[in-house]
Order: sequence, then structure tokens, then C-alpha cells
Amino acid sequence: MSKTDDTKLIERCIAGDRQAFEALLAEYERPVYNAAFRMLNNRDDARDVTQTVFLKVFQNFGQYDPSRRFFSWIYRITLNESINWLGKANRLEPLAFEAIDEGKGPEQECDSARLSANVQAALMTVKADYRTVVILKHFLGCSYVEIGEILEIPEKTVKSRLYTARQQLKDELTNLG
Amino acid sequence: MAIEQKFTDLINADIDGETSEAEKVELQAFLSDNAEGRALHDELAALRDTLDGIEQQTPPPHMRHIIMNSVPPTRNKEESPGFLQILFATPALKYAVTFAAGVFLTLSMLSSSQISNQTFDKVTGLVGTVAEPVNAALASSVTLSETNIAGTVSLRSAGSLMILDFDLVSADNIEVQADYTDKTIWFNGFAQLASKGTTVSAEAGRVRLGMEEGKRRYAVYLHNEGSRDTTVNLRFMADGEVIHEASLDYEPAD
Repeated sequence: MSKTDDTKLIERCIAGDRQAFEALLAEYERPVYNAAFRMLNNRDDARDVTQTVFLKVFQNFGQYDPSRRFFSWIYRITLNESINWLGKANRLEPLAFEAIDEGKGPEQECDSARLSANVQAALMTVKADYRTVVILKHFLGCSYVEIGEILEIPEKTVKSRLYTARQQLKDELTNLG
Repeated sequence: MAIEQKFTDLINADIDGETSEAEKVELQAFLSDNAEGRALHDELAALRDTLDGIEQQTPPPHMRHIIMNSVPPTRNKEESPGFLQILFATPALKYAVTFAAGVFLTLSMLSSSQISNQTFDKVTGLVGTVAEPVNAALASSVTLSETNIAGTVSLRSAGSLMILDFDLVSADNIEVQADYTDKTIWFNGFAQLASKGTTVSAEAGRVRLGMEEGKRRYAVYLHNEGSRDTTVNLRFMADGEVIHEASLDYEPAD
């Protein structure tokens, strides 16, 4: 969805149009849920965080800066909420592995699920600040500039965190086989 | 021999598709002459492909519905009220307008062959839309939380008008059957909010809805002359199997 489309929807949301909010929800439900899941490695927690994120968005439309892209705002809220959730619940990392159903044939499903589980397990060994960069880059498809905008950090820091995180992931995945 | 930081950065940037044309050329020249650099590039490319290839998780089926239900309705306070807002701000007028709208909607949707008499019994296939669900007094409600259907059904009343308000999300095609114990109650109309693909049939003492999967908001209008006590028995079925049963009671206020 383009920035203009988002801006129009947000204007309608501020005016009390629930259908506009539902359209935003339809657009961002999946990436927000996935980002939360990758941060927390737990479906129930990801669901709760996603619900909190959209309620916060709804309650704080007045604080949204239309000169920025909407996804930057909502992804930032998502990652902050996820980090808060980790802190509040004292969920020390690495978290327990949660089996992932990838919806394929038995053999493919097994390989795919194992790979996905290994990646998730490796991801959970990476510090939260670094994990956010990997999630934004590889699971939400953001560019360096967009990641910098979302996390409000310089592009140089984005690169540095991404390289470090990838090195750790690479080593961890090798250990996991 | 360690790879120069400049080329490590270039390799990572290339993996992320963030190199300029000039940088690409420079990197290719370096890689063609450096096995360690090529190995790092290959490793990182494999990691990128692995990460990018992980399938997205599907959000829980009812999450969107739950979020929408938890969002309070808002109105733009700066807007001056229009004609309809003024009408609907007055309780008596709200009821009258809503009732008239329900009847008008019903009449406008019925073909003449479908109307057997003035009570609208034995009609099928009504489809229409309303801008907002009706806001009459709540008599009772039930919450559903089954695997393939979730949401609420409320029984509302305003004088002799009774409204069954269905606010549901389903993962399958669902048939809903509403039986009312008082056979003098008659079906008086149906409306749906922002949804399609619904079938409706009514006969004495019973209304049937066929809903497709997805989020659905329906209002079934019943006429309860004399506002008598009654119970509406609801039955939800998927593939001919009953998946949920519930009852809604109406008792007139003293």
C-alpha cells in the first residue's frame, strides 16, 4: 500500500471510520503478527502483542506524523511492544522452541518446519536490538534506510547490527546442523 | 588472511541488494581474485536465502475480528451533525427511523412473487445492506468461541421490534437456524453490514441464515406484537453437523 493510500485511510480513521481502520488492519495484521512472533517465538504472545499494537495505533492516531511512512510507525510500535513484553514477562532468552506448522507435505513439512525452527531458535540467541534489524530486513523486507527510520538509528548502525547478527546466526545455524 | 573491512561491508551490502553499480564492479573485481571473500559471499547469500525463504506465519483466524470488537466506535467531534445524525440522536426517532428503514429495506428487496402475505413469512434470498447496526436495548446475548465460528449474537428490542444482531466470523460455510418459541412473532426483515453471499429464509417460528466464511454482521428483524416473553433458540451447523447451540431470552421491562 502506498504512503498516500495509508495517509487517506488514517485521515478516515481519525474521523471515526471503522472500515478504514479495518482496511489498515487487513493490510498490516500479517506483518505485525509475524514481527511479534519472530521477536517472541510464541504464537499466543504474538497475538496479544498484535492486538495491543492495533489498539495503540487506534488510540494514538493523533500522534502519527504524516510526513513519515505509516509502516515505520506501526513496525516501531510492534518492536517496542515486543521488547516490552519480553521484559515484563521476564522471558529470558533463548525461549523454548515452538513447533511451526508450515502446511506442506509430510516430508517437505518436516524439512521446512525443522529449518524454520532452527532459524527461529538461532534468532532467539541474538540480542533483541540486533534481532529487530534481522526481522525488519529479512521478514518485513525493509531497506537500510527504512530500518534506520523505524528504529531511529543511523544507517551505519543498521549495517553494523545486521552484519553482527548475521554472523551470529550463521554460527548458530551451523551448530544446530 | 582477514578480509578488509571495506570488502566485508561491500559483501554484506551486496547480499542485501544495497550496492551501487560502481560498488558492484569493485566487489566483483575483488571476489574474482579472493577465495576467502567468495566463501564469505556464498555463506551470507545462503543465509539470506534461508531467512528470506522462511514462510510467514498466518495470524489466528479470529484475531482481526477480536481487534475490531475491542476498538471503540468514534465520531469526529468537529463535524457538524447531519440530518441523519440528528435523527438518530433522538431515541424515539432512532427507533422509528430504524424500523422504517428495516421495513423499507425488506420491501425494496422482495420481489412480488416472494411476498405471500403482508407478514413476510416464507420468504427467501433477501440480501441488503445497512450503514450501521441498529442500536436498540440489549435483552440478552451469547458469545461463541468455536474452532470454525466465533463472535456474538445479541437479542435487542425496541417496542414491538426485536432484532437478532449477529456479529460473527467463521472459517467455514455455516448455517444458522433461529427458532422462536412464540409462533405469533413474525419475521420482519433482514439486513447485513458490509458483507455478501448470505442466504435467508423464513417461515413461521423460524429463520435460517446461510453464511459464507469470513466476517459477517447481520440484523434479523422480528415483530413481537405486545412485546411478549419469548426465547430464541439458535443452532449453528457446519456440513450438517451441529457445532453450537444457544438460547436468547427476551423479557419485557415492567
